[in-house]
Order: sequence, then structure tokens, then C-alpha cells
Amino acid sequence: MPQIATEELPEKLEKQSFVGTLVGESTSRTFRLAVAHETIREQDIIAVDVDLKSTEQNSIKQKTRLWAKVQQIERINPLFPVEAGHELAETRTSPFDTVLSLSREMVTAVCQVLGSEPIDGSAGGRLDHVRYPPQPASQAYMPNSTDLERVVIGELGTKQSRALDIATLSNRPSVTVKVDGHAIVSRHLAILAMTGAGKSVTARRIVEQLAERNYPIVIFDPHGDYTGLADVEKLKGKVQRYYAEFPVFEEESETVAKVVDTLGYELTPTMQGVFDDVFYAAKQFFIEDGGERKRREQWLALLLRRDTIEQYGIKQDMWLVGYLAEAGERIVQMKADNEGDWQQLETQLQEWGWARIDTYSRTDKRTIEGIKKRVFKAAAALKRMETTNKKVARSANPLPINRLELVKYGQISVISLAGYTGNFQATIYTIIANSIFEAKVRDELKLPVVLLLEEAHNFVPGKALTTAEERSIAITKQIAQEGRKFGVGLIMVSQRPSRLDETALSMCNSYIIMRMINPADQNFVRRVIESLGEDEAKMLPDLDVGEAILSGQLINFPVLVRIKKSESQGEREEEDAFVALENAQKGLEMEQTKQNGNSRRS
Amino acid sequence: MSENNGQDYHLTEEGVREDLQRQPYVLMRLVENAFIVAENLRGNYFENTSKFIKDLRKKILLAKSGESDPIISISNINGANWQEVQGEVVTFIDGGVGQVEISGQIPILLRVGSYAVRTGERNLAEREQFGYYPVILGDLEGGSKERKDFIDIVRITAELLGGLSALKRTPNLRLLMFHGPLMYLMGNYAGHSPFTENDIDLFLRSYAANPQLASDLKNKFLEEARIQIYPKLAPGVDTDMIQKKLFDPLAWMAFLYQQLISEAKKRSPVPIIAGVVERGRLREFSEDVLLERIFVSLRKKNNQNYFNNLFGRTDLKTPGILLDRLAYTDAILMAMLMKPGQRSESWIINKLKGLRTGQTILTGEARATNMDWSILKDPLLGFPKIKGCYISVSDRTEPIRVEVFECLGEQQIEEAAKRAYLYSLLIPGYGFPVGLDVADKFAKVPTWLTNAYSKLIKHHLSVSLQKGEIKDAEMRHLLVQAIYMTHRDWLFRPNP
Ligand SMILES: Nc1ncnc2c1ncn2[C@@H]1O[C@H](COP(=O)(O)OP(=O)(O)O)[C@@H](O)[C@H]1O
Ligand SMILES: [Mg+2]
Repeated sequence: MPQIATEELPEKLEKQSFVGTLVGESTSRTFRLAVAHETIREQDIIAVDVDLKSTEQNSIKQKTRLWAKVQQIERINPLFPVEAGHELAETRTSPFDTVLSLSREMVTAVCQVLGSEPIDGSAGGRLDHVRYPPQPASQAYMPNSTDLERVVIGELGTKQSRALDIATLSNRPSVTVKVDGHAIVSRHLAILAMTGAGKSVTARRIVEQLAERNYPIVIFDPHGDYTGLADVEKLKGKVQRYYAEFPVFEEESETVAKVVDTLGYELTPTMQGVFDDVFYAAKQFFIEDGGERKRREQWLALLLRRDTIEQYGIKQDMWLVGYLAEAGERIVQMKADNEGDWQQLETQLQEWGWARIDTYSRTDKRTIEGIKKRVFKAAAALKRMETTNKKVARSANPLPINRLELVKYGQISVISLAGYTGNFQATIYTIIANSIFEAKVRDELKLPVVLLLEEAHNFVPGKALTTAEERSIAITKQIAQEGRKFGVGLIMVSQRPSRLDETALSMCNSYIIMRMINPADQNFVRRVIESLGEDEAKMLPDLDVGEAILSGQLINFPVLVRIKKSESQGEREEEDAFVALENAQKGLEMEQTKQNGNSRRS
Repeated sequence: MSENNGQDYHLTEEGVREDLQRQPYVLMRLVENAFIVAENLRGNYFENTSKFIKDLRKKILLAKSGESDPIISISNINGANWQEVQGEVVTFIDGGVGQVEISGQIPILLRVGSYAVRTGERNLAEREQFGYYPVILGDLEGGSKERKDFIDIVRITAELLGGLSALKRTPNLRLLMFHGPLMYLMGNYAGHSPFTENDIDLFLRSYAANPQLASDLKNKFLEEARIQIYPKLAPGVDTDMIQKKLFDPLAWMAFLYQQLISEAKKRSPVPIIAGVVERGRLREFSEDVLLERIFVSLRKKNNQNYFNNLFGRTDLKTPGILLDRLAYTDAILMAMLMKPGQRSESWIINKLKGLRTGQTILTGEARATNMDWSILKDPLLGFPKIKGCYISVSDRTEPIRVEVFECLGEQQIEEAAKRAYLYSLLIPGYGFPVGLDVADKFAKVPTWLTNAYSKLIKHHLSVSLQKGEIKDAEMRHLLVQAIYMTHRDWLFRPNP
């Protein structure tokens, strides 16, 4: 019996290698194959040559090749009675010492028919439906790599420009598996697997392939998995990394109040009433005109006796809200004490937008002071998140004021969300996704774009717990449903698929599913993804790192593949903790000797 | 409860009844019997049977301690463990029949399977060998196809050839074990028309890799038949039969038995050749040995009315009548007398009762010819003597019978019983040697196959195939292929 073809074998030997004989009842969808021991593995793709009429009536019979996938392999030794097994165990006897038969096993492969094509491969990999079962006792064989590659790619073979080279067949590493990039960018893709299974590697591989074709990509990166893209030689100049600032001034007053609540201390109901005024005042105070803004900065610096304001200027951030609160507090205090020219100051602030400043009493001063303290605390917390964010982003570029600049021909925009807690991430994502999608709808943005969402379950959870989540779910669902019309694609990556919104997930037309152990996730995936077969779903817990089942429109039929390693590295590709410790200690020691040397010299 | 108390209890009616309840199949048989025996025997059938068995057990026990005439001896099977039989080559043989349902069951083909194994061999490729060969009944010209037992003579012949072939090609064979009796009641098969040379060639097709060996065997028979057998078997037509190369089925079988024996005798140690019989309504042991001795013993003590008294009758005067009336069989009685791991004494089984003069129609002739099959009773020329004993494997299964050739030595029955018991222990729920079920699976023509093909065959082939009318080689080839293209085909792959 010829052994299974492996890549070391020359193509000629590989060709037509016999794997088994059709036995029992066959249907146009499945058949069973009696196979020799270890000639075949689950998920192998095999072929059977059949004589069947093509679908038109009365046409002549023609040689057709029927393609099938091995779904399950059953192995039994029917000559070994179960009862004998128990007796052997009971008496601690080795079966080899008895007359029991051990050599004959019956190996049967259950195969699923994928489709048929003319035997000369002239249909370019397109598979027709099979409407009549293959003949019992037909022989099945391992097709050669060329034939295999053709049918795995399918019609895509003729459209090489959209074929992304991302994988090889898991059981036949010599066979490259290309997927339909068009389906991915226009009809959404979900990459689902447990942590460490290789989702980010897969996503990066796809991004690299898309980037070669200059497709605009915007990546929302909560962990710095994508910063490594910039280090890839081929992508030099194509990758833009941004750190993200929380756009306080694009939010409603209530939302910002909530932010203060969560990051600082809770605002009392009275404070909440006044906060609206303060926030509005801060909004009005900031002005695009540089000269005028300078004048206001000087005024503020003088009033608050903070030189730094003049030095660094003001920005539309939480600090500015705090400054305005402090300014309000000061003026109300001066008014109460009838100190200096408080009237002029009050009028000025009123003119610049704090209309009700003249209505506050001495008790209101304490409220405003409370707001100030809390806002400064929140501003400091935001600052800390922003610092972490910048660090992970390895970038000094803040998000462009005009967000549409994120979408450029041949550009990968990586937006770091690291450092921020969930709600902030969701909010940042929502604002950007909204601007891009709206611009596409209004046709202000001409280029198509694909948005990549790592940890998608945080942005599109099945149940929203906060308003930030509500909004991110809304925009994502909208893109999932209408994105195709407007040229906005989604790639959702998640290690907790069961927490994902079902509608958004089911709107994806392509899936890459990798190792998954959690039963809830497996069940969810099995339920939502129609193109995923029962037998494929059963394999999920047993997949290796880097192995994946591709299903949906990106591929001709579901296949088990090994994803090719991405050229880029992820930030989180972990260093051994103990190695890291030793390196750190070495660094310290070196510094020490350097210092010792210096002191001796002086 | 002490050992002795246990023994005593075993010798009471209650003890016997309890034993019965532990052996559901014996109970079942007794229940069945209770309905078929005469009405006046039914009432106390259980009770009286228990009494009889109790008395018998006592008697056997007393005989053991020398206090009484021996009725039969029952002994423990010693040395039945796998260490004792390591490195042995064993071949199991079985024949199976494929039947097609066309106005009744019509057998269409037969196949003989063999399974050879070497105990202790770890290398799977070395360890086991499988073989099988088919005979399509329609291909045969001889034999009397109208007789129901036509298939039996074909099967017996094929099995014997399978066994002989295995013995010849395996120089170190330790045990050759047949599924079923080592020899059937040969008298039943007298009268079949002779096989032709073509038939014998068909039988011998898978006999040996070297066709010369098959041809030698055939010629050896014809030579012996010419000199020794046919002149006595068919005086007057003997030269005619030799000329036409006709093979009287019984003479041919007897010859094959002799070949087995002479081949075995050449070896040292002499290989064990045995047949193992499961279930059945046999009663030879009870009639010829057990009850015969009981009646003698009763008469000695002037207690010849023991059974009549026990069952309230007057006609229970001979073993034969007793068995007829009470429907006891060897299996029932021996099950109640033996415990698992024990065997009965052995006895020479009379397999040749019906061998006498009779008639047959020689192939191609219209008139019947007189024959005298009784000459095959000569153990040196005809059928050898068969010795047997019963073995109790487990409480859950009927005793099995082991048969050997008497002339191969005293050791045969002991060694055969030991192995049959040991092999059976692996499947106590079945209570039959484990290798035989492997050969059985090989031989059996799956019913789904014959069912599936019956439709096809009904239309086109069956009758013509039976009659040998299909001459088209291609067609025959296709059919044979189709019939053997079974879900068991993996079994017949060449060894890995
Ligand atoms: N296709 C692959 N081939 C080889 N190794 C891989 C592959 N995918 C992932 N890995 C290995 O597994 C590690 C985790 O992969 P990653 O993509 O970060 O997992 P996830 O995003 O699912 O948590 C990687 O650092 C890499 O070493
Ligand atoms: Mg990841």
C-alpha cells in the first residue's frame, strides 16, 4: 500500500496515490472509504474519479473528478471481543500471549463530498454540485499538489490579484492555501480562538498581505499586537502608529461628568448641576484662532498664577476643564471678598462663554471648588493612561485632528488603545469608526477601508453594560450590516466569541477559527457559523497553535490549514520571565561598574 | 460454611436446584423439556431430575474415594494458563455457507477460513496469518445436489483440505483446531454421486502454492482407491470409476483424514488435531457411557427400577428409552455434573453407525450402482477413531465437546481439552475457544451481502450459477468479485 504523500516525495510519486475503496452506501453528499492503516488523516482532501453525466440531460458521460474531505476516521478491530479485553485485564494477561487476533483492524474514513470538476481541471478549480452518488467500489486517491491547490483556491485561481497567501494545508504542507482578499475586506472576517492560538499572528499575516495591495487599513490595537508591523522591511513607510487621547471635548457634558466620576471622586448632585456650566465654559474658552487663544492663555495664567499655562498653552483636555473651574472658583471668591477688579474678570469670563458666572453665590464657590478637585484628579488619571498608551504605541503622533487622514492609499494606521480601560477604548473606537463610516456614507471619503478590531468582544459584546459599549455596538453593527455598500470592511478578532454580539458575528461572511477549548465558545461558534461543519467544530479543541479552519466566502470549501507566520512580531510575544530578570540584573551591574569607574576617575 | 459442608450441600436436592438456577441455559432446556415430555412426567420433572442428579453426584463422589463402582470420572483441567502455551503455533479452521433466499434458502457458495497465530509473538506481521478460500457450489459437477446435505459434504471436504493444507505448510504447528466435530456422523452422507476430477481441482485450487502438491494428493488418492478401496467399495465398477477419475465423497474424505493423521505422525511432538463442538442436542455420551453404566450398576444392585420408581413409570428400561422420554442431552446432564474448569472422562465416539451398503448414481449414468461403504469403518483404510470429552467452561454456558484422533496418542485429548478451555476463558460469556470465532468470521458469508445480491441473482444468475450454466468467464469473475467485495475485505488483504 503506498504511503501517504509527503512533501519530500517527488510530485510524480505523489500523484494518484491510492488511499482506499468506496464501501457501503454512498450518497451524493457522503461516502465511506475502506482505507489502509495510516494512509489518510482527518481533514485530508481526496479525489475519486467517476463516470457521471454532467448536469444537462442526455449529455454523454464524461470523466469527472469528485473531490471530498475526510471528516472522520473510524478504527476498530472486530476480531477482538470486548469481553476478552475485560478478561485480559482481570487476569493481567498480555493479549500477545494469547491466541487473540490483534493484527486486523478495520479503518473506515467517512468522507464529505465537496464537488466535482472535469478530470483535466479545465474548470479552473470551480466545483460543481454533485447530484448522483459515486459508484461503490471506486478507488479514492490523494490528488497531487497542483490539483489540490487549484480546487482549494477555486475560482479565485483566475483572480490572483485578490488571492492572499496566508496558509498551507495542515496535512499537506506543500500545498499553499490562498484566500479571497476581496471577501475579507468587503464582507467582513472574524478570527476566533482562545488566547495564544495564533489570532494576532493570523491577523497580522492578513494585514501584511492586504498592505502589499495598498488596501487602507485602520487597526484598533488594545495590546500593542500590531506595533511590530512598522518594523517589517517591506512595510517601511506604510505603517503609521498613533497614540490616542481621550477626546473629552467631543463628548456630552454628562459623559464627561461620568468620566470624572469614574476616574476621580464622585460628583455630588449639586456638582453635577454646575458641571454642565463649567464644561460648557471650557468648551467656549478654547478657540482655534491662535492669537486670540494666546491672549486667553495669558489671562488664565495670570488669574490662576500658573506660568505653565502660558508656557505650554491650553489644549482641549480635562485639564482645561479644571482650569476653568479654578477660574470660576477664584472669581466668585474675589466677588464675595470684593477683592481687586473682580467685576472686570467676571465680565470677561462671561464674554468668553460662562454666561451664568455672575449668578453664583459663596456656597456655589464650594461646589465649583469640589468640581475642580475632582476634574484635576480625573485629568491626572487620564494623563497616566495616555502615557502608558504612548509608550506602547511607540509613537509620538497623536491621532490626527481630521480622522479621515487615517485612511490613505497604502497606509496601515495602528491606533494604540493600550493603557485605557474598556470604556475609554470603546469610546475612542466609536468616535473614529463613526467619523470614518459617516464620511463614507456622505461620500466625503473616497477610498475604501477595512477596520481591524482586536479583542472585538470588548467593542461588540452581546450585552452592553455601559453607554460607551452601547455606542460601540451600534456603530459596529451598522458597519457589519451596511459596510459592504459603502466600502467599509471589518475584521473582528476575539478570544471570547461567546461574548460577541451574535448579529455582528453572523454578518461576517468569512471565518478563521483556531484552537478553542471553552465549550461555551465552541457551541456558540457552531451555532452562529453556518459554514462550519459538525466534524470541523469537534476538532477545535485539538488544533495546534497556528492551525485554523477556514470557512465561508474566503475559501472554496472549509479546510484545515496552518497559517503562515507573519513577518511582523507582536509586542506581547513574551520574553521568558527569568531571562528578563537576568538581563535586568546584568544591566544594573553594568551601570554600577560604570559609576564606580567614573567616581574613581574624578 | 466449610468446604465439606459445601460439598454436602452440593449433594442435596436443594443444592442441585440452586446450581440449576445459576445455569440459566440448563434451566431453559429443562423448562423446554418439561413441555415436550409426556404429561405424566411433567408434574415432578424438576424435582425428579434434581433427585436423579443428586444421586448421581453422590455416586461419582463415592467412586472417587473408592467406595463404589465408578460411573464416570470427572477431573480438573490442569495447567490451563498462558505461560504453559507460549510460542505455540495454532491454526483455527472454519467453513461458512452463503445462502440466497430464492424460494427457500439456496446455498450458493461456501468459504473456508483459517486463522493461524503464534502465542507470545509481538511482531504483528509474524504473529498472525489469515487465509480463506471460496467454493461456488454451482461449479461442482459431482455430489447429489438435490440432497439437502450436499452442502455438508462440500463443507466437510473443504474444511478437511483447509486443515491438511495448514498442517502441511506449517512445520511447527502445535494445534490444528476445527470449528465443529472433528468428524461428523459419516453414515449420513453415504450415497452422494462421486465428485469428478474437475470438482477435485476446484477444491484443490487454494490447497497449496505449488500446484504439484495438489496434483500429487489427487493422484495418491486415485492410486490407493485403485488398489485398496474401490475394489471393495464398488466391486464391478471400480476400474470404471478409476478410469473416469471419480471420487467417491466418503472415500475421499476418509483419505483426507488418513493424510492428516500420517502427516501428524511424522512430527515430534505430534501436533494436536481437534474439533470443538458448541451447543447441540447430542446425547451419545449419555447414552453410550453415562446411562449405560448407571443401568449396569443399578442391575448389579437389583435396583433396575430406580428410574421407573423415580418417575412413576414402567418403560424406562434402557438408556435410549430414558433419553427419549425425558429429553435429556449430554449438555444438560454434563452441565449438572461438572463444575467450570472440569472435564469428563473421554470415550470413543461412534461416528460410523450408518456406514453400510447402499446405492449411488455414478456421474453420467442413469442406473444406480451398488456400493459398500462399511469397508470405510476400517480405521486403517477408512475413517479413523474419534475420541471425545466434555468441558465445562463457565456456569453461564453449556459444556463444549472436544474431539481428537484416538490414534495420535493418549496426550491428545488432555492437551486439546486444556487449550480449548484456556482459549474459552477469554470469552466466558460465549464459552467457546476464542480463535475459532476469528476463523468463523472469516468463513462466514455476511447475510447482508447475500441479501443484497439475492435480488440481483434472482433476476439473472442464481439458478444458472447453481447449475453451473454460466460459462462466461468474465461474468463469473464479476460475480465472484461482487460476492467477495464485502465490508470484510480488509480481512483478506495480504498481511502487512
Ligand atoms: N501560524 C503560526 N505559526 C507558528 N507559530 C505561531 C503561529 N501563530 C501563532 N504562533 C505562536 O503562538 C504565539 C501566540 O500567537 P498570537 O497570535 O499572539 O495568539 P493570540 O493572538 O491568539 O493570543 C505566537 O507568539 C507564536 O509564537
Ligand atoms: Mg492576540
